[in-house]
Amino acid sequence: MPDYAKTKKPDVKLVILGDMNVGKTSLLHRYMERTFKDTISTVGGAFFLKQWGPYNISIWDTAGREQFHGLGSMYCRGAAAVILTYDVTKWQSLVELENRFVSLTDTANSDCIFAIVGNKADLTDTRAFAVEPEENGTEEKEQGPRASSSPAAPPKGHKQVSREDAVALYSRILQYKLLAEETCLPAERMCFETSAKTGYNVDLLFETLFSMVLPSIRRKEAQSDSPTVDLEECREVKGAKPGCCT
Amino acid sequence: MSVKAFELVPAVERDLLMGDKARINIECIECCGKHLYVGTNDCFIHHFLLEEHTTPKGKLAFSAQKLLHKYLGLKKPVNELKAASALERLIVLCDNSVTVVDMVNLEPVSSGGARIKGVVSFCLNENPVNGDPFCVELGVIATKRRTVQIYMVYEDRVQLFKEVSTPEQPCAVCLDGYFLCLALSTQYMILNYSTGASQDLFPYDSEEKKPIVKRIGREEFLLAAPGGLGMFATAEGVSQRAPVNWSESVLGAAVCFPYVLALDEGFVTVHSMLDQQLKQTLSFRDGHILQDFEGKVVLASTKGVYVLVPLPLERQIQDLLTGHRVEEALTLAEGARRNIPKDKFQIMHRRILQQAGFIQFGQLQFLEAKEHFRKGQLDVRELISLYPLLLPSTSSFTRCHPPLHEFADLNQLAQGDPEKVQRCKLFLISYLREARSTEGANGCREDVDTALLKLYAEASHESLLDLLASENACLLADSAPWLEKHHKYFALGLLYRYNSQDDAALQLWVKVVNGDLQDSTRADLFDYIVDFLSFCPNLDLVWKYAEWALQRDQKVGVQIFTRRAVSDDQTDQMNPDAIIEYLHKYQQATVLYLEHLVLERRLQKEKFHTHLAVLYLDKVLGLLSQSPTLTQEVTEAREQLQNLLKESNLYRVQLLLGKLQESELLLERATLHGKLEEHDKALHILVHQLKDFPAAEAYCLWASASRNQEHRQRLFHLLLGVYLDSDAPGDEHTVAAVDLLNRHAGMFDATQVLCLLPEGWSLQLLRPFLSGALRGAMHARRTSQVALGLARSENLLLKHDRLKYRGGPVVVSEKKGCQLCHNTFTEPDCVCLPGGVPVHTHCAAQRARDSPRKRQSTNPSNHT
Repeated sequence: MPDYAKTKKPDVKLVILGDMNVGKTSLLHRYMERTFKDTISTVGGAFFLKQWGPYNISIWDTAGREQFHGLGSMYCRGAAAVILTYDVTKWQSLVELENRFVSLTDTANSDCIFAIVGNKADLTDTRAFAVEPEENGTEEKEQGPRASSSPAAPPKGHKQVSREDAVALYSRILQYKLLAEETCLPAERMCFETSAKTGYNVDLLFETLFSMVLPSIRRKEAQSDSPTVDLEECREVKGAKPGCCT
Repeated sequence: MSVKAFELVPAVERDLLMGDKARINIECIECCGKHLYVGTNDCFIHHFLLEEHTTPKGKLAFSAQKLLHKYLGLKKPVNELKAASALERLIVLCDNSVTVVDMVNLEPVSSGGARIKGVVSFCLNENPVNGDPFCVELGVIATKRRTVQIYMVYEDRVQLFKEVSTPEQPCAVCLDGYFLCLALSTQYMILNYSTGASQDLFPYDSEEKKPIVKRIGREEFLLAAPGGLGMFATAEGVSQRAPVNWSESVLGAAVCFPYVLALDEGFVTVHSMLDQQLKQTLSFRDGHILQDFEGKVVLASTKGVYVLVPLPLERQIQDLLTGHRVEEALTLAEGARRNIPKDKFQIMHRRILQQAGFIQFGQLQFLEAKEHFRKGQLDVRELISLYPLLLPSTSSFTRCHPPLHEFADLNQLAQGDPEKVQRCKLFLISYLREARSTEGANGCREDVDTALLKLYAEASHESLLDLLASENACLLADSAPWLEKHHKYFALGLLYRYNSQDDAALQLWVKVVNGDLQDSTRADLFDYIVDFLSFCPNLDLVWKYAEWALQRDQKVGVQIFTRRAVSDDQTDQMNPDAIIEYLHKYQQATVLYLEHLVLERRLQKEKFHTHLAVLYLDKVLGLLSQSPTLTQEVTEAREQLQNLLKESNLYRVQLLLGKLQESELLLERATLHGKLEEHDKALHILVHQLKDFPAAEAYCLWASASRNQEHRQRLFHLLLGVYLDSDAPGDEHTVAAVDLLNRHAGMFDATQVLCLLPEGWSLQLLRPFLSGALRGAMHARRTSQVALGLARSENLLLKHDRLKYRGGPVVVSEKKGCQLCHNTFTEPDCVCLPGGVPVHTHCAAQRARDSPRKRQSTNPSNHT
């Protein structure tokens, strides 16, 4: 792994949750490596460090299997953003989000933001399908019948989860969190339909979230005003400081 | 993917422990420095001294010497042993009670004070908060339900410090600072025994599978998780590292940075904490205990004890590098940063980066290689030395030992593939260019620049000339043969020049121009040489090569002198006189040089002007004497001559006139007469001999160009006179006279002209002239009237102003007092002070007398 950043301390944490086989690892892989490839079922979890401007963002990929479910709340502890992922062709995957995964986020930061992401949009959506894949990956396993990868054939997958369902879930999550919908980020901005296979909306998803968690990073920085001076820290603090009169 | 990170070395053989007693098993071990304690199921503690030594084959081996064994007398297995080396005590758990024994003689200390009863399991706090060095903190799981106790163990006593209750029955414990990391029956949790705050970690069924709780560092624990995972958790309940993937049947875990080792039924697996990858698998059957003691990993079966010796980090990294696994090697090195002294780490890290760079270089991954070379601060010469013949023979460089790479040279690396060689060379060019612009080339600039020069020359790279023209440290002795070999003579000349050997440079260039050497770098090399000579400060050199340049091309060659700043100093070799004398062999060059002096520099010296005029004249005469005459060239040459004659006032007119006397160059003669103010002669030539009337008119204008109107009028009248001269009557003259009058009506005094003109001329003929003259006269009259009017009005205005400034009437009456004496006026006589104040005449006179200036001069007697 060519990440020297590994030894650096991450500034902020993002966690991807969701049922097994919805494509969490593929999503992250598409974003980090710009490719789509066969992934095996994730064991336990994995994490990546993403350099975003001067910040290190750690992105945790979790295991969707029931067996590792108990670890979820540990991964979520202190998270600034949680990506709840479902499969647009599987109604059950959305149901599982509500049943099993939302409660895991209790340990996340109080100001944690949530994104609902319907993956595998290329199977149902012509727009997502039409995105020119950067690399023709082999077909993912256990997806049942799926469209041929030739562009001539339109996607035939049956869409089981509509965007409205995701939006409704988002507002139920806010209710569960006892948050007033007006004070939170609107559902339209927080519900995505993506395709890890074609790359549709993937960058949009991550970059939107990164830009949303930046305030969280800044606040954390302001709080951690430790008396120890970190000589290696060469971040320009000036920009963050407000003027004397404000 | 595998690395050899650990080596399994037997430490205590079976027969040393239990001989052939089959039912005796090892229950627990403790290792403290060289001391190894083994607890068995028959209630014995064995004490060994473990000596490390190297076999003749270079392998590490242990020899165990049994010091003591002690029966605790309980017929129960010894469950746990922990050494407290500062107290020289061994803490023993046997039959649910903790006893403290002496480390050396294994005798229980003092009385019953040093004993804890009802203990299921205990752990030592390796990061205690209390700070008392003669006290050890124990975390104890008591037989009492749902309770964890903290004890302080002193040399001779044990003291209960704290008791905390847990929500479920604990079955494993680990302690760090105030934090207890507990495995409960259904989950793991962190408990702060000081504040009582707790933090759930994750569920785990401890009844089903043995939990593992292992402190791996400050406030960080490693826990066995469902699905055979090794989870990392901090005291805050956060996972900072991704989990490692063990097998479901994991029995024990140990940490030896940067590795996590786990024991299961058949294997010891080694994962890296840095990238969570499985690095090594050692087959080991009947494994029973895996523990780390101060960095030493000890593995035990029920019958024997082994040590997992970590291979030195450098060795592991070298293995990885040998396998071309650059990223892993670097990750490993970076991960070890904290465990190695900074300066040592930096040296090691640099070397690894350099090696990594060379591996990538060998794979032609130049971008990555460059990055690693840069980060590793590679001595550029290491890279240059790969390329045969690039380093100067005088370079003191020797390759680093041990070598950073396996390549002898580029040819071996590329295996004779010319394309690869080419790519490597291009890479080196770009690398050296960057090195030059940064600090990278410090201390070996000569080597770098020379190598770059050679590469450029070989590749006919356009930057070769830039390199030589800018500041560089190319070694002449080493570069010259190379440049010659590649026929870069122009570049070699530049190098000579840079090394202040201008003569050598010129010699070489002259040879190229002469065709003795072939180098097509510059098609205009001759011009270049001339240009070079034109500002070369070494005059000997200039004289030496000027001859050659002039012989080759006078026109270009003369630029050597024309581009030079003119020196007026007569002692200077480069003063114009000396140059002209030098150039006398080369007529064209002389002309060009004089033109430069006279026309461009505008040097006001009679000598040059006359010389140039004579040369021009000679040229014209020469051309005219040829037959057939080349009209075009003659015209051009005459124009040059005429221009000079007209423009310049410095040449010796008589001399030229004498030369011209015999020739047919009438126009020139007229001009020369003009210069002598002999206008009648000039006009006579123009009108009668040349019969060129426009030229005559032009002459009038030219000859009066810088003079006043009257002079011009005089010339025109002269011309008119010549036209009307009855000695040489002719129609054409009459026509010319009429044309002249009609065209230049303004130039003549009409009354004079009318007197001159013959009676017979018709009015119609002179109509334009007359109307022009009339108009001119009218205009002059009107203009002067306007001027008169304007002058009058101006005069009036001035008068008005004068009156205005003189002010109003001064009123004097008997009632008004004088400002000076304050008496009234008795007479109308008065003096007006500035501002119109009337005062008595005598008062004014008095005042004038009393003014300070006056007083000084009139009263000198005051001094006495």
